Amino acid sequence: MTDNMSPFSADADPILGEALRSALAPPFDAAFVGRVMARLAQRSSRSWDEELAQWFWRGLVAASVAVVLAGWGWTRVGASPDGNDASTTVASELLDGSLPVADIVIASMSPSTP
Amino acid sequence: MTVVDEDALAQRASRGEAEAYGILVERHAPMARRVAYAILEDREDADDAAQDGFLSAWQAIGRYDPRKAFRPWLMQIVVNAARDLRRRRRVRTADSLDRVSPASRDDPARVVGDLDLGERLRAALATLPERQRIAVVMFDAEGFSQAEIAGFLGIPEGTVKSDVFHGRRALRKVLESVKEEWDDR
Repeated sequence: MTDNMSPFSADADPILGEALRSALAPPFDAAFVGRVMARLAQRSSRSWDEELAQWFWRGLVAASVAVVLAGWGWTRVGASPDGNDASTTVASELLDGSLPVADIVIASMSPSTP
Repeated sequence: MTVVDEDALAQRASRGEAEAYGILVERHAPMARRVAYAILEDREDADDAAQDGFLSAWQAIGRYDPRKAFRPWLMQIVVNAARDLRRRRRVRTADSLDRVSPASRDDPARVVGDLDLGERLRAALATLPERQRIAVVMFDAEGFSQAEIAGFLGIPEGTVKSDVFHGRRALRKVLESVKEEWDDR
């Protein structure tokens, strides 16, 4: 009880506590809860621009990786031992005719004869 | 609702069950709003802060340890949200405190003469320094321990003890003056 309690008491004062709770009691609890739940639902279902923003960043990362890989592949081809570029290398292999695949490619390219 | 129910709800919420979290929001909304009001002294600001607290708690629910009590965990987030909002709106808060004269801060009963008990207590709370206000509301009205309050506010437990003592003394004067008035009638 408030009358008998020392201000030093380590126990909560039930009378003061009850008076404070009712003095601070906020109105329209249900409306407040509804408002919070609506905001939570809003956050759970992302809007199209948030979705798009997420895909934008994923796309940007994927494109960067593709550019790096392409650059790496390009430098690998460019750095081939005989110094030729890719098209020259393929053409020379076809003309050489030593590889079995060259026969197939040349045969498939030749006009069909009856 | 029992404590066991609350633990089970908190556990379900920590696994991302929105329905369980909704029940916890419903259960703790009055407390969160009262504490936020004790910090901000404005109903709208208090509701904004309490809402921010609930939304932040839901975002951080994956970090909640279900072996620990949910209420203090939530309350820490609400207190942080309210204090953060108060920092952002410090000018408005300073205005409201300026309306209370220094003399009335020494004797809260002087400014609350013609009001009903609820209004008198709110007016008396407004005369208290912020830390005393929060400490006495969290201790006497919300039932948190002095150690928990010290953790929420980041101050030593002895300071909370002293704040509760001074806050109580001022508020009890108001209760006693109301009681005397009723006895005189």
